[in-house]
Amino acid sequence: MEILKCEGVRKVYGFGGNQVTALDGIDLSVNRGEFVAILGASGSGKSTLLHILGSVDKPTGGKVIIDGTDLSKLNQTQAAIFRRRKVGLVYQFYNLIPTLTVRKNILMPLSLDKKTPNQEYFEKVVESLGIADKLDAMPNQLSGGQQQRVSIARSLIYRPALLLADEPTGNLDQKNSREVIDMLKLSNRNLEQTILLITHDEKIALEAERIITMEDGRIIGDERRR
Amino acid sequence: MWKEYSSNYIKNNRSSSLSVIIASFISALLLSLLCGSFYNLWKYEVERIELEEGGWHSRILGELPSKDLETIKSFANVEDAVVNEKGQKGTGPTVDIFFNDKKAVFSDTLHIAEQLGIPQEKIVYNYELLAMYLIRDASDTAPRLLFLLFLLITLAASFSLIVIIHNSFAVSMNQRIHQFGIFSSIGATPKQIRTCLLQEAAALCAGPVLVGNLLGIAGSAGVIHLSNRMLGSGIAGRHKASFGYSPVVLALTLLVIIVTIGISAWLPARRLSKLTPLEAIKNTGELQLRHKKSSRLLSLLFGIEGELAGNALKAQKKALRTASLSLLASFLGFSLMQCFFSLSQISTRETYFERYQDVWDIMTTVKDTDVDNFTETAAVQALEGIKSAVIYQKASAKRIIAEEEMSEEMKSFGGFAQAPADYASQTEGGWLVNAPIVIMDDQSFSAYCEQIGIIPRLDGAVILNQIRDVTNPDFRHPVFVPYIKAPDVGENAVSVLRQSGSNEETAEIFVLSYTQEVPALREEYATLDYYELVHFIPVSLWKKIKGQIGGTEADSYICVRGREGVTLEELHTIQGKIAQLVDGKYTIEQENRIQEYELNNRQIQGMMAVFGAFCILLAIIGIGNVFSNTLGFVRQRKREFARYMSIGLTPEELKKMFCAEAAVVAGRPILISLPIVVAAVGFMLKASYMEAGVFMAKAPYIPILLFMLAILASAALAYYLAWRNVQKIRLAEVLKDDTML
Repeated sequence: MEILKCEGVRKVYGFGGNQVTALDGIDLSVNRGEFVAILGASGSGKSTLLHILGSVDKPTGGKVIIDGTDLSKLNQTQAAIFRRRKVGLVYQFYNLIPTLTVRKNILMPLSLDKKTPNQEYFEKVVESLGIADKLDAMPNQLSGGQQQRVSIARSLIYRPALLLADEPTGNLDQKNSREVIDMLKLSNRNLEQTILLITHDEKIALEAERIITMEDGRIIGDERRR
Repeated sequence: MWKEYSSNYIKNNRSSSLSVIIASFISALLLSLLCGSFYNLWKYEVERIELEEGGWHSRILGELPSKDLETIKSFANVEDAVVNEKGQKGTGPTVDIFFNDKKAVFSDTLHIAEQLGIPQEKIVYNYELLAMYLIRDASDTAPRLLFLLFLLITLAASFSLIVIIHNSFAVSMNQRIHQFGIFSSIGATPKQIRTCLLQEAAALCAGPVLVGNLLGIAGSAGVIHLSNRMLGSGIAGRHKASFGYSPVVLALTLLVIIVTIGISAWLPARRLSKLTPLEAIKNTGELQLRHKKSSRLLSLLFGIEGELAGNALKAQKKALRTASLSLLASFLGFSLMQCFFSLSQISTRETYFERYQDVWDIMTTVKDTDVDNFTETAAVQALEGIKSAVIYQKASAKRIIAEEEMSEEMKSFGGFAQAPADYASQTEGGWLVNAPIVIMDDQSFSAYCEQIGIIPRLDGAVILNQIRDVTNPDFRHPVFVPYIKAPDVGENAVSVLRQSGSNEETAEIFVLSYTQEVPALREEYATLDYYELVHFIPVSLWKKIKGQIGGTEADSYICVRGREGVTLEELHTIQGKIAQLVDGKYTIEQENRIQEYELNNRQIQGMMAVFGAFCILLAIIGIGNVFSNTLGFVRQRKREFARYMSIGLTPEELKKMFCAEAAVVAGRPILISLPIVVAAVGFMLKASYMEAGVFMAKAPYIPILLFMLAILASAALAYYLAWRNVQKIRLAEVLKDDTML
């Protein structure tokens, strides 16, 4: 079942002679439960694509449909609610809220909707990510790897249609990188979570079941590995 | 290169530069206004003391041979020594000494006295004047806090203004740590960075500081002009304030601002020198909380947005400290001032104007004149347009009250048991108490006799036979009882008055009547000394006994009543006629009831304006701080807001968070102040024996409410402007920007 569909997505920055085309006619389809890696060098447009899929940026042209929602038609408020409910974003630099505890950081998307968490699911997520004993800590009391796990837990708490991870291991050492990738794979397998992982590291990309390669704002390869 | 970089930065970061420019302008303006006004207040006080007491620093009582005067003049630190023929009251001529170095006045005067063999008792210091130069002596026990109070207020306000400039710079400079980290990583030395920051500070602040200073000076001239207009010459003895400005004040104000700006610009450079370039590059200046905090009330009121706001405020605690303290002090000060002056106005109206409404219209003080030497009594009383004119003088005397003379009512509250020794002392014959004498012109005394229902006579006294129940401390509703038991008035009724300070000299005077009714004079009796027994006597009798009693005050008074419903213009006309009558013969000072009422109101308004301006200044400091914070935090907290938005916080929810922050910033000082104000008003009402209902009917709700709304509205505006700037944030760019780690 198709959960993500991009048709001729274009993104152009700047005006007149200073125009830079970051995305140039991206066509892409991802099914529910897939673990997709988008591989590309710096400047290939992969982060721009992720921002558009995460509704933090708007395409200059084309169409993006996630779980039946056309992102180009959303206003600011609708886009925020979409981000809250439909996508989970994991960044290289975690983006945790430094003034809230780990527990509150994880529950933030639910709190914004004034929803109480499903305790069973919450415990399953934090235990599988190995942060159950860190729930009352502040983000700055955690290591980079632990912060990234909190960030993943937060992105999973709303059971989003799509989990978007932008170089999630880029700031971590090898051991922590391995663990984070394992966590993502685990959530993909156990929770049937659709994941779109952006990386420039081929070794990391090889962990995914499908690898899409980008160059100069275009998709130049789409390989299904399993 | 630095010059180019700085000018580019200033051009491209207008909002950040603007907040520094505004902060330095407002601070320079207010600091200059404050220092200029303070200097003029100080100058006015010094002039007043010099006019009233003289500009001498120390004084030797009595006459000195010219040889000794020359010896004094030859002392190194003595600027001048002059013989003052008028001297002090009752001491005759004096030698007034002026010193070059005022600090040495005490030691040098003693040295002079030693050399000339003058006893220490003959030396007097101008303590009031010296205190204005912060020169004090242990032997002067008077508090003399005026100058110190001026100084403390100025220092407190100056410090707050310095903190504003510093905060505004700190916010702007902290944003630069990252950029300077990059410079540092490519080899810029801390000195080069410091130079760059100082150049930038100079470029941004030179103009605003100069203009602010000049406008501040003009403002202080305006304050002096306004105070002259408001108070004018209405207060008897008040001299007109003339505006003055000392280059020292200008230099000091400029120095304080320049040093503050210098330190504020230098601090980030120092901070930078302690960081490695990598740490500096990674610096975000982002709000952090080290420990878990909860904002239960805000969460309850505003939900998760309230919690985010509460935690953000806790993380900004240090930056918002000036704002919190200034707003708290201003609202508390303003509310207390309003309540205090309302209470004081009600009290003055009830105890003064309403009580004395019908007893006087014009009061003329005839300086250094005894009532028996005043020759214009008949002429004044014959003036057209007046209902009555009483010419009187006060004198002090003593009288013994024997045990058997005391009334039963007085005995019931313990007689003289509670009387302080200064007011009543026990002697063999009974209790020696003060017996103030009011010497009235004969015609007025006769009228008074008729008023109390006795046959007018000019050879006796009427005694005010009442004493306040001292066990009842409610001065607003005092209970009076008879002082003397069943007064026996007849040919043999006498009162033996004794000279104050000498029990030997006595005068026996005939008592016409004991009464509880007083003549219509603007006088209060037994207010401090409840045990005094007031005697009203005619001037004819005084002429006979003054040799034995003496003790008159220096001045005499003319208490004039006009017709019913007399107008201010009519009173001015009468005042003019009285002045004409005594012109050239006597020195007088005049007051009239309507003018005094208006003046009292103007004085209260003036005091409220000065104090209110100080509170407004504090509020401006607080609000200025809120503005400098909110305008600066958009950049500082960009990443934080982007993070909220990236996980789904809608613009409306962000707005709600801002509302919660604004409500706390402006609301907390108000909520803290209100119970303190209520408690303080409760205490004031209790101490002044005023009924709560009377105060509540006249309580200053509107000014307090307006002040409260002004604080709330200003904080709301600051956050609204910040909100508008936050809306301009491009989420994708912030999240992409790795420099904002």
